[in-house]
Amino acid sequence: MNLDARRYVILAFILMVGVIYASRLFYMQVVDDQWVLRAQEIAEKRWEISPPRGVLFDRTGKKIVSNRTYYNLMMVEDEIEDLDTAKFAKLIGWTREEVRNRFKEIVRGEGTYYNKNTHKRTPNYQKIRAYPFMKELTLEEVARIAPHLDNFKGFHEEITSMRSYPYANGANIVGYLSEVSQEEIDEDRFYKPGNNIGKAGLERFYEKELRGRKGIRYIVTSAMNNAIESYADGKYDTSALQGPPLKLGVDILLQAYGEKLLKGKRGCIVAIEPLTGEILALVSSPSYDPNLMIGKRNISMYYPKLLLDPSTPLLPRPLASEYPPGSTFKLLNSLIALQEGVITPEFGAPCNKSVVGCHNHASAGNLADAIKHSCNPYYYAVMRRIVQQNRKKSVFADAEVGLNRWVDYMKSFGLGRKLETDITGLRPGLIPDVAFYDKWYGHHRWAFSTIRSISIGQGEVMITPLQMANIAAIIANKGWYYTPHFVKSIGSKGPLPEYRRKHFAKIDTKHYDIIIEGMRRVVYEPGGTGRRALLKDIVICGKTGTVQNPHGEDHSTFLAFAPMDKPKIAIAVFIENAKGGGGLWAAPTASLMIEKYLNRKITEKDREKTIIDAVFSYMR
Amino acid sequence: MRKGESLVAHMDWPLFVSYIVMLIIGMATVYSVAYNEDHPNIYEYSEKYGKQLVWLGISLFLGLMVFLIDSDIYRKFSVPIYVFTLFLLVIVLFTPKINGARAWLGIGTMGVQPAEFAKIGTALLLARFISTVNVKQQNIQTVLIANAIILMPMVLILLQPDAGTFVVFTSFLFVMYREGITYDPLILKLINRIPGIRFKETWVGGHFIPILFVVIILSVITLLMSNEKLEFSFLPNVKVPGFYSVVATLFLISLIFLIFLRVVSARRERGRATLVVILGFSMAAGLSSMVNYGFQGLRSHQKDRIELFLGMKEDPNGKDYNRNRAMAAVGSGGFLGKGYREASVSSVRSNHVPESETDFIFCPFAEEWGFAGTFILVALYMFMLVRIIIIAERQRAVFNRVYAYTVAMILFYHFAINIGMNIGFAPVIGIPLPFFSYGGSSMMSFSVMMFILLKLDSQRRDVLQ
Repeated sequence: MNLDARRYVILAFILMVGVIYASRLFYMQVVDDQWVLRAQEIAEKRWEISPPRGVLFDRTGKKIVSNRTYYNLMMVEDEIEDLDTAKFAKLIGWTREEVRNRFKEIVRGEGTYYNKNTHKRTPNYQKIRAYPFMKELTLEEVARIAPHLDNFKGFHEEITSMRSYPYANGANIVGYLSEVSQEEIDEDRFYKPGNNIGKAGLERFYEKELRGRKGIRYIVTSAMNNAIESYADGKYDTSALQGPPLKLGVDILLQAYGEKLLKGKRGCIVAIEPLTGEILALVSSPSYDPNLMIGKRNISMYYPKLLLDPSTPLLPRPLASEYPPGSTFKLLNSLIALQEGVITPEFGAPCNKSVVGCHNHASAGNLADAIKHSCNPYYYAVMRRIVQQNRKKSVFADAEVGLNRWVDYMKSFGLGRKLETDITGLRPGLIPDVAFYDKWYGHHRWAFSTIRSISIGQGEVMITPLQMANIAAIIANKGWYYTPHFVKSIGSKGPLPEYRRKHFAKIDTKHYDIIIEGMRRVVYEPGGTGRRALLKDIVICGKTGTVQNPHGEDHSTFLAFAPMDKPKIAIAVFIENAKGGGGLWAAPTASLMIEKYLNRKITEKDREKTIIDAVFSYMR
Repeated sequence: MRKGESLVAHMDWPLFVSYIVMLIIGMATVYSVAYNEDHPNIYEYSEKYGKQLVWLGISLFLGLMVFLIDSDIYRKFSVPIYVFTLFLLVIVLFTPKINGARAWLGIGTMGVQPAEFAKIGTALLLARFISTVNVKQQNIQTVLIANAIILMPMVLILLQPDAGTFVVFTSFLFVMYREGITYDPLILKLINRIPGIRFKETWVGGHFIPILFVVIILSVITLLMSNEKLEFSFLPNVKVPGFYSVVATLFLISLIFLIFLRVVSARRERGRATLVVILGFSMAAGLSSMVNYGFQGLRSHQKDRIELFLGMKEDPNGKDYNRNRAMAAVGSGGFLGKGYREASVSSVRSNHVPESETDFIFCPFAEEWGFAGTFILVALYMFMLVRIIIIAERQRAVFNRVYAYTVAMILFYHFAINIGMNIGFAPVIGIPLPFFSYGGSSMMSFSVMMFILLKLDSQRRDVLQ
């Protein structure tokens, strides 16, 4: 046995291990880059810094949506040392049971992770991470708790930012924020669980602008998730950028005034600046105080109540409620008839109550008076001329041609489709077309006499108050409009490009004058239906509407613009189930809004008092 | 006067210098990994580097003491030293548990681990015993005594329990192999009971230890490859599934050996050598197939356990957490590393790699210095080990040689297992990296071990065969 040779066996063994290790190290450190990525995952964390959201100003520069600082009470389980639950519960004003349940809720809320390899479920909850134990505490609340937190290891406070609404108005315009849902997180990687997102109104529509840009810091972290230092001296960090401020066309004082006027009634007011298409006020009544919908605690307390309230305060009526337009629709039918050449301004028709009911007035000898009196039989005659133009032999085929032309005009007024207004929750309304009636009655089974109620804005026609206000703006502009919109400017940029494009109704400008004259007569001439809208120093042009509906009393509506020569405000008022027709409630309401906006003061104090004090039976 | 001269003149400078270099790198690494901005001074005793510096000083002092003592004392007193270390291993079992093991004997705030010193005691006694045995006449008794010397501390260490040091004690098997203390007598006794068989010696018994290691390593490699999903391409477009590639590799190696033999070996030995290679290949392939077949036949949870142990599967929150983090730290070092004190994963502050100043100290070193650093470190260890074996082989006294081999093999084990667990080649069992890991016991025991070797070597000429 040659033992001396064995030294070479041992040497070879040692050197072999050395070579293998060196090769392995070369492979791991130089060739294979999975470990670099792994190390980044482990030790380099992206810290996202959420900027405050962009704030909202009204057209006069008043801040109507701003940010406020709140506090979260954070908990790190690993740092908790013999917690005296009773004392702690007393400090935060909970019961011991609630404290215990909150612990469980946090753990459960994090969900579980399923490992495909080991087929095991492990909770996502980590004892070393900080979780919000109580959210959205006000400064007063936290000031009471914070000084005692030294006695409760594992708890600390953390600053968060939330919305606040200095004016308790316009809830249906601005909307509200709420925590992102899982779908929203999956859809957009910007959001992390617990982040807020706009859920309604402008907050939702302008979410991408308002949320701003998240700042990202790359930091080296420890296993305890503590930051140690910034990665690469902050070379790759970006700073957080607050969302740009939005300047609205809304006049918050006008909005507030409108809400005051409609208190105790269901209804809406939409006011638009005709020249720009900017929405001045969009009142939905009843509404709610937007300050109720701040933060998870409030939302979980108030949202169910608001949702279940039978008067539907969460519903943005001016955008989403579809009403028959009633007599205000006669303005459009007049314009179409003029454009089609089937009537002249001198066209007269007897007030034949055997065809359709009407109120007592002298027969209209011309178009302007027909508008003044809102004569129903007159508009049957007008509509018959539009629909049945005797272009086809068959009365059914002829009605089809006529209705098609009529629908085409209506669409050009922005009816029967959603306006592209910068808000969510819009409804299209309904302009019944050939296909609609074919489906309803059958092909060639209908003619003017079947569908005649649309001539006075009843029947199948549906329109939203926003569309109605837009009609007022079109008439004020004599034929064109900008899509009604809220936002005047985003930061230093103007409004979105789609609101800088004029749309034209398919009616020649010359036809508007007689209609506007008729609207003036509505308010200013004896026998006019809207005399309660009369203002001494402003000339209002308007049209009343009394909308029959199956839900009770007639709706009262009024469509107007003012002043007559240089329109600055176009308005539509809609008051549900108001006893007494358009002239009685909606017209004075519109006049008050107009006066408030143009003169900033109210001369008609009695009128104001009557409207404000009225509380309709369904609201009691 | 003659002695004083020899102290310096006959010391093995290459070994001594490599030892000092390691100490310096190790100290620098501990300073880096445990660095605390509040106490940047390396002498700060409240920090780990301050303490390590004290241990280093004590170690060097002990080393000097050892160096001044006449080398004969280690041979003469090997039995009392061994008994004393065993005694410490017994007392330590009556101390309270720290981190799940009774491994520490406290002296004030400083503790020592008797297991570390038991290595020296065992090494000395084993050297003493082997030096008294005539290998040519070895019998069952010799084998049993040698094994008993190793086994007694092993059992006590297992009772602590300290799996790492337990495994390190198997390094003595290599020494026994080198000295020809083999299991041959035992195996012969068993085999010769079979009627008709009368062997004088067996090749297997004589090479029992290297064969054991080849079997273990081959089995582990087979297990790692025993996975249908793994594929390797030997030639472009030729993919071979995991296990078959092991056999194919073995075949290629054998082929290379055969070609090598045709060129190198003398003609008359060629036939026999060829036979050995072919036999070796068939046995290795057979073993590999058996392991593969057996593993595939296991139930899934048994498979899981083995896979977890070998690090084939990940269980990031469980046992595998350390290895996972450690490998990420090492692998992210790149070629030149992240720079001194720039370790982001494995610094003590970040605490992603637990024990990064003790058992996993290779991590921060690898992360900071990259492949450039780790290659130098591996090379330095290789140099030290080869140097110790060279020293061992030049000794006239068997005692010295055996002792030198024990030092080499213990160091090698620590090196192989400690670095192996940082690169996924060894299971995670906690043993320190010599001269690097923070901790007094290992620092002192390795230093004392090293100085005893240097002393023995410097006096090798005084010893008559």
